[in-house]
Amino acid sequence: MTDFNVNLRQVKNVSIIDLRGYLDAHTAPELENIFNKLLEQKKFRVVVNFNDLNYISSAGLGVFMAYIEIMRQNNGDIKFTNLKENVYNIFDLLGFPLLYEFYKDEQEAINKFITQENS
Amino acid sequence: MKFSDIKLAHKLENSILISILLIVYNLVFPVRSTLVLFLINEFLVFGVLYFLFNYMNIFVESKKEFPLSLILKVGVLSAVMFFISSFMNSFLRNNQQENFQTNIFNSLISILMNYVFIVVVIYILSTFRILFFLRQTKDRSTYFNTMIIFFCLTFFSDFSRINLSLDYAHDAFYVVSIVLICLNSLKVSWIAFLTKRQKTYLLFISIVLSVLFMVNYSLISESNSLRTSLNSFSSGFYSVYSLVMIYGIIYFGIIFFTTLFHLPTAEAFDRKSEEVSSLIDLTNLITQVFDFKELADSVTSITTKVCNSYAAWLVTKKGNDYELNSVKNIAYVDADKIVKNVIQNEKLLDNVYILNYDELKKDFNINSIDFRSIAIAPLKVHGEVKGFLFAARKHDVNFDEEEKRSIQAFAYYAAVALENAKLIAESIEKERLEKELDVARDIQRRILPNKIPSSQQLEISALFIPAFEVGGDYYDFFELDENKLGFVVADVSGKGITAAFIMAEIKGIFESLSKIFLKPSELLTNVNNVLKNSLDKKSFVTAVYGVIDKQNGILNFVRAGHPPVIYCSQNKVVRLLPSGLGLGLDYSLNYFQTLKEEQIQLKKGDIIVVYSDGIPEAKNANYEDFGYERFEKIIQRNCNKTLDEISNEIIKELTIFSKDNTQHDDITLVLFRWK
Repeated sequence: MTDFNVNLRQVKNVSIIDLRGYLDAHTAPELENIFNKLLEQKKFRVVVNFNDLNYISSAGLGVFMAYIEIMRQNNGDIKFTNLKENVYNIFDLLGFPLLYEFYKDEQEAINKFITQENS
Repeated sequence: MKFSDIKLAHKLENSILISILLIVYNLVFPVRSTLVLFLINEFLVFGVLYFLFNYMNIFVESKKEFPLSLILKVGVLSAVMFFISSFMNSFLRNNQQENFQTNIFNSLISILMNYVFIVVVIYILSTFRILFFLRQTKDRSTYFNTMIIFFCLTFFSDFSRINLSLDYAHDAFYVVSIVLICLNSLKVSWIAFLTKRQKTYLLFISIVLSVLFMVNYSLISESNSLRTSLNSFSSGFYSVYSLVMIYGIIYFGIIFFTTLFHLPTAEAFDRKSEEVSSLIDLTNLITQVFDFKELADSVTSITTKVCNSYAAWLVTKKGNDYELNSVKNIAYVDADKIVKNVIQNEKLLDNVYILNYDELKKDFNINSIDFRSIAIAPLKVHGEVKGFLFAARKHDVNFDEEEKRSIQAFAYYAAVALENAKLIAESIEKERLEKELDVARDIQRRILPNKIPSSQQLEISALFIPAFEVGGDYYDFFELDENKLGFVVADVSGKGITAAFIMAEIKGIFESLSKIFLKPSELLTNVNNVLKNSLDKKSFVTAVYGVIDKQNGILNFVRAGHPPVIYCSQNKVVRLLPSGLGLGLDYSLNYFQTLKEEQIQLKKGDIIVVYSDGIPEAKNANYEDFGYERFEKIIQRNCNKTLDEISNEIIKELTIFSKDNTQHDDITLVLFRWK
């Protein structure tokens, strides 16, 4: 279950976090480190790509909850893309889609950031 | 009084008694003209020698741990002997004209002198005996005892002087005794165990003693008045006295030369014994000190001793980095700097590596430090490098091969000790966590209802299976009024004691608010508002809260992020999933709008299943979920059975499904049936 990987890349002024494997209480600190790094660099526009993520636990969800507020306060956001059905169901059950933006595709989320910026 | 004390006292009494006898006898018969008188005197002297020797042995034995102080006492005594001998010599010479033995005063002095001689000789002899047995690995008592026997034979063969034809026997015993003395004098292995300082001291004292004994021997071997006096007192004792003097000469002569030859290696021997004692210290520490920091400090301080180095410090691996645990005679900053510069070097990993001054300067750019050489030993446990031990010298002498080996050996012990301390600390921490979990479980057990309400219209079954780590499940029932029964199934995110505390708080909130806000959606909105102050950003709570009217069978419920409610009516199973945000996710005023209240008119035999995600998310060996479909099918199949039976069926199948995987989360299962 500890098979987890997180990767950070930059597309224009949007930071993309790629998640892979299982995100649970043991692996959540790795993701937290990435978010802390982004805050340090004052990068508040974040897209999280769930393409290779197989499982997320409540501790994993907690990471996003902890950071989304501060991102939004700084005119940024965390947007979620490419979720597998079972992972999306977990978010959906909790009602996350009522609060956060979910997209099928990473590019969609990036475009959304860009249009937000222009408007 | 102990037995040995009694024996000791007896020996002392015996020797005092026989000594008094001897003195009185000598006073009465100053001149022993007949053979009988002579023999009685000889036997008395022998008796004194025998009993004194026995007593003295016990007395001297108690000081055998300090051979040098024994030798020093021998030295003092032989010096005393020297003075007495010289004094006697001149005293007797002056009185030669008179017939001194008839003078009562003179004879008393002479007897006392002779008696002092006896005591001193016996003391010296028993000291030699103790030194002989010191640090012997085998029992060699026969050698010494044989020598003593020959001493006795020499003593008694002196009677042969009465008949001159037997004189050769005395000489023969005398010579054999000397040969045995020579042999026994070679047993000086205890010298090796002395420190260098002690050896130097012994070298000096042994030559002085050897000379002293020689002088004493020559004083009595010349034909002078002292010899005459001793001989006339007891010719047997005279022989023994001279034998002991010879023993002294030979023994201290041999000690002198042995010590001389031992001296050059004394330093190495000292160092070895220091290493051994340091290792013993460390072994003691391993078993006694479990505090990691304290142990690390001891290791560095012992390192400076073992490696003869000025400073020492120690780093252990922490993740990918190295952490400085203890420093001795060096500033933290300096040690850290050296560590940072040196540690990436791969040469360090295998063996003790010696960095000399040039390398330090050139390859590692360490300029400001005045160490001439640094030895770096890897701390390995099971072949894995867990840290490094540094020993640094300020003087120019480089670490030699021997020292490298001892540092290596020491590092090995230190690594095991430190690892041990670490493991113990971890197990203490684990124990603490387990205690904490016990507390959490206890809280949870107290929070959950111990009585399930029942009524004529409503059958209720509730089941809870805790996970090893408390999962944060909570369920409860509230009698709102005569007809209305409220129920809640909630799941706090997170685990352990934090989850348990939030559970306790949730219980309090529901208990107090459920009677105020009868409408489920209003209640949850208010619960959410209260939680705002106590939940941290990362935590949330999912819940299903419902109210059943026992009069008309109307169920109103809301779902806040919780898994769907399963509704089984006339063999049909549906998942009820009204929209609703988890508690603690959003505190804005919109929360109320996200909650959709669902109303159901229960018909006879309808079953409502409320549960926590521990059921659908239970996993098998392949990490597949138990899922909703399996769950629903079991309900459908068993819907005519009693609720407890249905509950058992579900748990049975769940257990079979997830038998190869541990239960990660609490399982809560609450069923209602409208009768």
